[in-house]
Amino acid sequence: MSEQHSSPNQAASAAFEAEIQMPSIEHPLREAARMFARNKAAVGGLILLIGILLLTLVVPFFYTVDPFDLVWAPLSPPGTENVPFGTDYLGRDILAGIVHGGRATLAVGGAAAILAVIIGLSVGSLAGYYGGWVDEVLMRITEFFQVLPTLLFAMVIVALFKPSVATVAFAIGVVSWTAVARLARSEFLRIRSLDYVKSARSIGSSNRRIIWLVILPNAMPPLMVQATLAVGGAILFEAGLSFLGLADPNVMSWGFMIGSSRDYLMDAWWTVTIPGIFIFLTVLAVSLIGDGLNDATNPKLRER
Amino acid sequence: MQKSRILFSGTKLVAAVALAGAVAGTAHAADPKRGGTLTIVDTANPRHFNAAVQSGVATMVPGAQLFATLLRLDGQFKTHPYLATDWKIADDGLSVTLNLRKGAKFHDGHDITSADVAFSLKANRDNHPFKAMFAPLQEVETPTPNQVVLRLKQPHPALMLALTAPLSAIIPKHVYGDGQNIKKHPRNTKDVVGSGPFRLAAFKRREHIILERNDNYFMEGPYLDKIVMQNFGQVASQIIAMEQGKADMMHWSSSSRTLARLKKSKNLTVTSDHYVAIGPNNWIAFNLKQKQLSDVRVRQAIAYAVDRNFVTKALHGGFSKPSTGPIVPGTPYYTDAVELYDVDLAKANKILDDAGYGKGGDGMRFTLKVDYLPAAAIDENQKAIAEYLKPQLKKIGINVVVRVSPDFPTWSNYVRNWDFDMTMDVPFNWGDPVIGVHRTYLSNNIKKGVIWSNTQNYANSEVDAILAKAGVELDLDKRKGHYAKFQKILARDLPVYPVNVIAYHTVFNNKAVSGVPDTVWGTAHPLDRIYKLK
Repeated sequence: MSEQHSSPNQAASAAFEAEIQMPSIEHPLREAARMFARNKAAVGGLILLIGILLLTLVVPFFYTVDPFDLVWAPLSPPGTENVPFGTDYLGRDILAGIVHGGRATLAVGGAAAILAVIIGLSVGSLAGYYGGWVDEVLMRITEFFQVLPTLLFAMVIVALFKPSVATVAFAIGVVSWTAVARLARSEFLRIRSLDYVKSARSIGSSNRRIIWLVILPNAMPPLMVQATLAVGGAILFEAGLSFLGLADPNVMSWGFMIGSSRDYLMDAWWTVTIPGIFIFLTVLAVSLIGDGLNDATNPKLRER
Repeated sequence: MQKSRILFSGTKLVAAVALAGAVAGTAHAADPKRGGTLTIVDTANPRHFNAAVQSGVATMVPGAQLFATLLRLDGQFKTHPYLATDWKIADDGLSVTLNLRKGAKFHDGHDITSADVAFSLKANRDNHPFKAMFAPLQEVETPTPNQVVLRLKQPHPALMLALTAPLSAIIPKHVYGDGQNIKKHPRNTKDVVGSGPFRLAAFKRREHIILERNDNYFMEGPYLDKIVMQNFGQVASQIIAMEQGKADMMHWSSSSRTLARLKKSKNLTVTSDHYVAIGPNNWIAFNLKQKQLSDVRVRQAIAYAVDRNFVTKALHGGFSKPSTGPIVPGTPYYTDAVELYDVDLAKANKILDDAGYGKGGDGMRFTLKVDYLPAAAIDENQKAIAEYLKPQLKKIGINVVVRVSPDFPTWSNYVRNWDFDMTMDVPFNWGDPVIGVHRTYLSNNIKKGVIWSNTQNYANSEVDAILAKAGVELDLDKRKGHYAKFQKILARDLPVYPVNVIAYHTVFNNKAVSGVPDTVWGTAHPLDRIYKLK
């Protein structure tokens, strides 16, 4: 007792709290987490994603077969001795490709999504906050990128530079930021006219402070959802580019596996289907989490 | 001349008999029948049809139907009369006299004269990408309308082959001799006038080429009324078209997946008994200006590490053949009496150890880039083998980085400007070493900026001397001797390491088609003997 209430001030405040019975207000993050946990699909997605992360980040240390090595007869079906997932047209181990190739796929997805969010958020927030000619100019630029056929544009970028994990991530980021920009702009437009922003301005806060510390945290929930979905989109994009032959052949990735084996789909379904399933599961997991986040941060859905 | 006229009427008689048999309904399967349409799976995407000034299979196949040539080849590289009925090579090899078929006419009714032949051969010499074909041709004399004399700067053993379809074409002077740039002549794609077995009825790029029977053809045949070269789109659709009988024939196919699937169909015959003169030699080219690759021991070590059997059997399902040198098997000058580099990883490692290329901490000696020609149709020959080199050469401590070119110009820019270490490539033999082989190895053909020149920077004065001799030697056996020596040296020096020969296949519906040409040129040959069974 005496230790806990070493100062008389603390003792007093504790007594005060106990006296007036403050209504318990949950921390918003904790509330969101509780809402998220109530969403079975989202939790399933989270577990799935953790599983995939374990598979791609931890399992490679235990399953050390080089995914480029020729380990067995080409096009051996799954279940063949030593190669549970079969081999591709060169005799490369599909399981090794799955285990070692996930890292590049997730890295491209993650990096592209981060790039998309950075560009999108910068453009959208400035346009939404300042309005006027800044908004006009930035939105025209956004529209320019919006009307470009995204896959084609990404192909041009990758073809201009040589295909590598970095260029593919860059290309995907550059073509997919517009949705984030639009969303960020609308959020900033909405929030900047709210009372607490006006108050912040009236007490002389700088623009930078208002953008970073007042509006951005409040605009974050929908943007987080958008960013999560962007990861899934970017992974699909990577697979699409790889399918068209624009993958780095020196880095194993799920997209590369699909792209390089696509001609063998008719004869060796496993070469394309197995990496396809893993891409599907990853994108599904990310989407479920994104949905869960959306529900969890949307106050209107709270009573559901 | 009298003789050829008799032959001519004779063939007409045969055709008449065949026709009568068909009418009577008693035609034996072996007797060619008149009529019907042959549908061929094709890309239908030639630059144009004028085979006198344009190379490439897309032009050559329809070109050989539209334009007759002086001679034609059979399946054994033997020359036969076509527009020329007989010919004589002078003893010194410096002139060739050919007599032209009398009464032969172009599609528009004009007689084919020696002036047309002279005009065509000169156009070919001055414009065709295969410069070596007619480079020694100095003058074409026309003593009479039915005789030409070709005057040569030097004996030219490849000449007779160059006079056959699809390497040359006799084009009408009255159409193409109007002073316009012949390579861009409007009549190369429209109102094409030749003298071949078929005339152009319709051409819609990437959709179809429709050829109709030339009723005034100067030889026997053709039996078909029509040839439709149809673009069926994706490979899957092409396969279905063949399986369902919508198409009668697929030609120039080398995809092992496609061929393996079509082979399962009872009605379809899959054959590669022809095309031997084309000779697509799929190889790894080394840049001899690159530090490690300038060392012949490194090239030999790579040769010992690459398994041709794996490529042809496992990777290509047996639908391609191992290549052992610059000249492809099945052609007259080929020899396999050379070092064959049967796969031997221990030996390869030892060569590199002995040469002083020690392994680093990661087990690697050095890094080499490999490029490949980006073309979906030959991915299993180019892309797949480039990818195969990565794990395979890792076994001998060479770290291979595959460099992707998104399109042909990108790849071509790397290679022709010598900005490469190793590249997959597939130059064609084109029937005679003078045309398709010499270019890669002659030291005077080291030309920066020119694709398919001696981009390897290989210079060996002994090879230069042998090729110079072989290029003017008319005696078959002596010439064979020169090329045997040449192939031996090349197998030792390895400026390129030949992996396999792409085997082009023809697939045809054996219930619907007969008389598929078994020439060394495949279907880039007049299709005047092919006929429909029903």
